[in-house]
Amino acid sequence: MPSRPAPAWKNTSWLNTDGGRPLALADLRGRVVLLNFWTFTCWNCTGALPSLVAYDSLYRAAGLTVVGIHTPEFPPFGGEHDRQNVAAALAKHGIRYPNTQDNDRATWDLYGIRYWPSYVLIDRKGQIRWEGYGEFHVGDRWHAQWEGRIQALLAEAA
Amino acid sequence: MRTLLVSLVLLLGACAAEVSPYFSVVREPVPGGTRLRLEPAPGVRINAQQKPALERPDSTVLRFDSPALTADSAYFTEPPELVVPGSTRGRLVASICPAGEFVCKAEILTLR
Repeated sequence: MPSRPAPAWKNTSWLNTDGGRPLALADLRGRVVLLNFWTFTCWNCTGALPSLVAYDSLYRAAGLTVVGIHTPEFPPFGGEHDRQNVAAALAKHGIRYPNTQDNDRATWDLYGIRYWPSYVLIDRKGQIRWEGYGEFHVGDRWHAQWEGRIQALLAEAA
Repeated sequence: MRTLLVSLVLLLGACAAEVSPYFSVVREPVPGGTRLRLEPAPGVRINAQQKPALERPDSTVLRFDSPALTADSAYFTEPPELVVPGSTRGRLVASICPAGEFVCKAEILTLR
């Protein structure tokens, strides 16, 4: 897959960062970044979370940062825009990696995302190297495929 | 023949459908309003975690529902319904998940 520069997001509401401090893409230069576009009301999204939690646990120290981009599917009456609901979902699913609220879908649009859940894998130089979507699970071939991609990018020099 | 035509006209008057690629909206007059039923296209599941909604011009929001869900409560197994008092005009939003693709997307349909 040809690479292209990852665009910088501008989200301001963050969870699982130090004091809720915004995390910029520039802060992550030199690390491999896996973006996960999701929402807690999407079963296919929550079905894939154990894989992302596993990647975070296994590869954070080696240079991977998983970033959840929580993008509501419904208008605000659905409850997906509420920070407390997102925080509860992070706790429920044991998510310790950073997440941001993308309530206006700005980052969703910036990356041209169309489906929940979607994934974007960015290399240490800030280039998008892999994109994909769909639910997968620990132990299945898609989990292994994404893990292989992560390992390959971690092996590259910064 | 005449009886058949009259029956057909009555049937069309009683039930009308608006269609998206993912579901049809079937209307049926009932006492007190109109029953709307979302019938998914083959292979499409309707997300029950985020119940389909009708946003009306007066900003009220009505939700579709059905007691029949998959064992994990993720999807409807019977078409969700909603009885709308008065006009059914509005914006229908539903989260649909094609069975073979393991993804969801928001489908929006304008009802008249």
